[in-house]
Amino acid sequence: MQQRNILVAVLAGCIGLGVLISCGKSGDKDTTPVNNSKTDSVLANFGANIIVPAYQQLATTTAAMDAAVTTFTATPNAGNLTSLQTAFKNAYVAYESCTQFEFGPAVDQSLVTTIVNVFPTDTNTIKNNMTTGNFTIDGLSNFKAQGFPSLDYILYGANSATVVANFSTAANAANAQKYLAAVSASLKAKAAAVLNAWLPTGGNYLATFSAATGVDAGSSLSILVNAFVYDYDVILKNYKLGIPIGKYGASTIPQDPAKVEGFYGGLSLTLLHAELQSMQRVYTGAFEKKVVASSAQSNGGSLNDAIKNQLATVITKVNAIPETLSGSITTNAAAVNDAYTEATKLVVLVKVDMSSALGVKISFSDDDGD
Amino acid sequence: MMAIDNDYWQHIKNKYVTQPVHIAPLAVLRMVFGAVMFISTARFMANGWVKDFFITPTFHFPFYGFEWVRPFPPTGMYVLYGVMLLAALCVAIGLFYRVAVATFFLCFCYAELIDKTYYLNHYYLVSIITFLLMLTPAHRYFSLDVLRKPALKVTQVPAWTIYIFQLQLCIVYFFAGLSKVNYDWLIAAMPLKIWLHAKEQTPYLGILLRQSWSPWVFSWAGALFDLSIAFLLMGRRTRKVGYAMVVIFHVLTALLFQIGMFPYIMMAVTIIFFPASFHWQLIRLLSGGRGLPEQQVVLPWPPHKAKAMYGLLVLYFSWQLFMPVRFLLYPGKLLWTEEGYRFSWRVMLMEKGGTTFFYIKNPATGRQFEINNARLLTPYQERMMETQPDMMLQYAHLLHDTYAKKGIPDPQVSVASYVSLNGSGSRLYIDSTVNLATQRESWFGHKTWILPFKKNQP
Repeated sequence: MQQRNILVAVLAGCIGLGVLISCGKSGDKDTTPVNNSKTDSVLANFGANIIVPAYQQLATTTAAMDAAVTTFTATPNAGNLTSLQTAFKNAYVAYESCTQFEFGPAVDQSLVTTIVNVFPTDTNTIKNNMTTGNFTIDGLSNFKAQGFPSLDYILYGANSATVVANFSTAANAANAQKYLAAVSASLKAKAAAVLNAWLPTGGNYLATFSAATGVDAGSSLSILVNAFVYDYDVILKNYKLGIPIGKYGASTIPQDPAKVEGFYGGLSLTLLHAELQSMQRVYTGAFEKKVVASSAQSNGGSLNDAIKNQLATVITKVNAIPETLSGSITTNAAAVNDAYTEATKLVVLVKVDMSSALGVKISFSDDDGD
Repeated sequence: MMAIDNDYWQHIKNKYVTQPVHIAPLAVLRMVFGAVMFISTARFMANGWVKDFFITPTFHFPFYGFEWVRPFPPTGMYVLYGVMLLAALCVAIGLFYRVAVATFFLCFCYAELIDKTYYLNHYYLVSIITFLLMLTPAHRYFSLDVLRKPALKVTQVPAWTIYIFQLQLCIVYFFAGLSKVNYDWLIAAMPLKIWLHAKEQTPYLGILLRQSWSPWVFSWAGALFDLSIAFLLMGRRTRKVGYAMVVIFHVLTALLFQIGMFPYIMMAVTIIFFPASFHWQLIRLLSGGRGLPEQQVVLPWPPHKAKAMYGLLVLYFSWQLFMPVRFLLYPGKLLWTEEGYRFSWRVMLMEKGGTTFFYIKNPATGRQFEINNARLLTPYQERMMETQPDMMLQYAHLLHDTYAKKGIPDPQVSVASYVSLNGSGSRLYIDSTVNLATQRESWFGHKTWILPFKKNQP
């Protein structure tokens, strides 16, 4: 009798396990929020008050830019070009407040750095596209010739008179107009689609984001920390500063000022500043409370203070670089190197200390740990 | 005295080694373990890990002494996993068992040895349980092999074929428990303080996790569980309670942590502690309740075979006892240096994160530049490398060779590496003045370029 009881218990256990195995690990692909799971109030607030407004701003500014493109291509003159350049700059700055959120909708809609912000841009392909009018805007071979850097080149790549001429008197002006409109329309469409995907009235990714609690792969905190660290470490530190001042690569010339972001319009420092400010907002909005709650220390003080101070230091150092970034790389490399050194220190604080204090793993995918 | 000792040893040897016992536990273990391995292998393939782990990376981190283990071309890797899947199934149903279990062992070990990035304690456990299964006649009861060749059927096997699994699991749990007896785990409640805190939103369980004392309760309970569970499972009266604890403990860990198949493997293999009568009932249930009185057939067990087997087992278990304590051969804090960390049943002991800035210096020109690790490593490899010195060394050698080929004569490789261990805050991990390209890996040699862990760094 007793044996039989154990048997029943074990069999019941096995069935239960089977259920666990089959449902347990599929969690990270599941996008429907579970009803009884509590939402993370910090992340819910952050999503509603920081992320959604950031994409709202991007959608608005890219729409305004697209309207300015229409005006400019209809009437290519210096005045309309200046308006367009301003609208472009506004959209680019707005984009810098979104690069910390390259997951979920942004990835689905390809509104990510590796597609819409690849610099240096591929000027040969752009020229070719503007001459022939023969292109697939989101085609694989075109990814280096579109997005914000391509507009930077198209709108600032020559003096105003030449740019206006490219779109009015040049032999292939119609094709040039077609390409400009396509690049702009693609950005506008992506921004609108990402915003819609986040909005409760649309895809409501906001609900998914608020509900995916915990720190496992697939949790919003893990995704956000990883996106933040990647944006800071790889995009800002490596691509925007490190590569142009020649920190990488064995055979390249020590410095390569043409590799900065926003090279043609001299927008680098403006963009860098916008990105750092957005990082400050992300830190205060999403991570600060959790870092404080962990009571993590750094060199005798609180980790929270250390991160905030270092972020402020990096901003100070970036502000100390005289305009333009590419110019300073050749004439005032010390200032840029200073900023890079301070930026590197912050990498350690956010990638090692912060992620450790929060229990989040960097580059965590759906692999197992033990 | 000698006589008593001899009698005593004779008694022990008889009870745990030679005495014929019913084979049912072994047959059930074979089926359950085979089934879990089938699911585990299928899950591995379904997750796309064959591609992510073995095909996508351009470089791998082989284990010291196993540098010859290289991944096969893509098709070969899929074939390897396909064969593994089939072999697991054959083990479960007991078809061509001897070949199947050896095949599974070889395929599994080969895959595991390719890259230490993917090392997990439970993969190691899988390889050794499979190894032990290879030594036993687990297919000679309730298997397709017996249906195929009825002459194979035996009902009684020597006791050691059951007890080796129990002993192995005792070693696993006990050393896992011992490794938790330290300041970080018991007094500082690290790393559970970090991990449980992050889990406060878990439905229902979250209420418990929000209590400030919960990390200590979980830490102490975990350590006590690991230390005592083997004894509870071995005792006749405590076995049921013990197994209930096994289930509760592992289900909890499955809910709280992303640890894959580990909890299920442990719950599956610990049934070996149940008495033969239980397993016999289970098999009777599975075979449709036919309780025909069966004729006893004892496994032929010739002395020369026995001697070789006992010798092998003594060697094997000595090695099993040595591996978890080999860290004593190294100076420094084990969790920090990780010298002697793997293959020691140290699970869930560290919240460790790191970052590395590798530098290459051209000795001819003096020009130094930084390396973007993502160009050579996958994110997973990079993450594992950034906290493990032996992997940093392998990576440094890769960098040396890569840039030597690009024309830098004997490039110097150094690293600025920062690691945080159990909430310590980041601190310098590796002596950044050392040219890692000239450092060599060795058996049991201490890596002098790992900076010592300082508890209270200013």
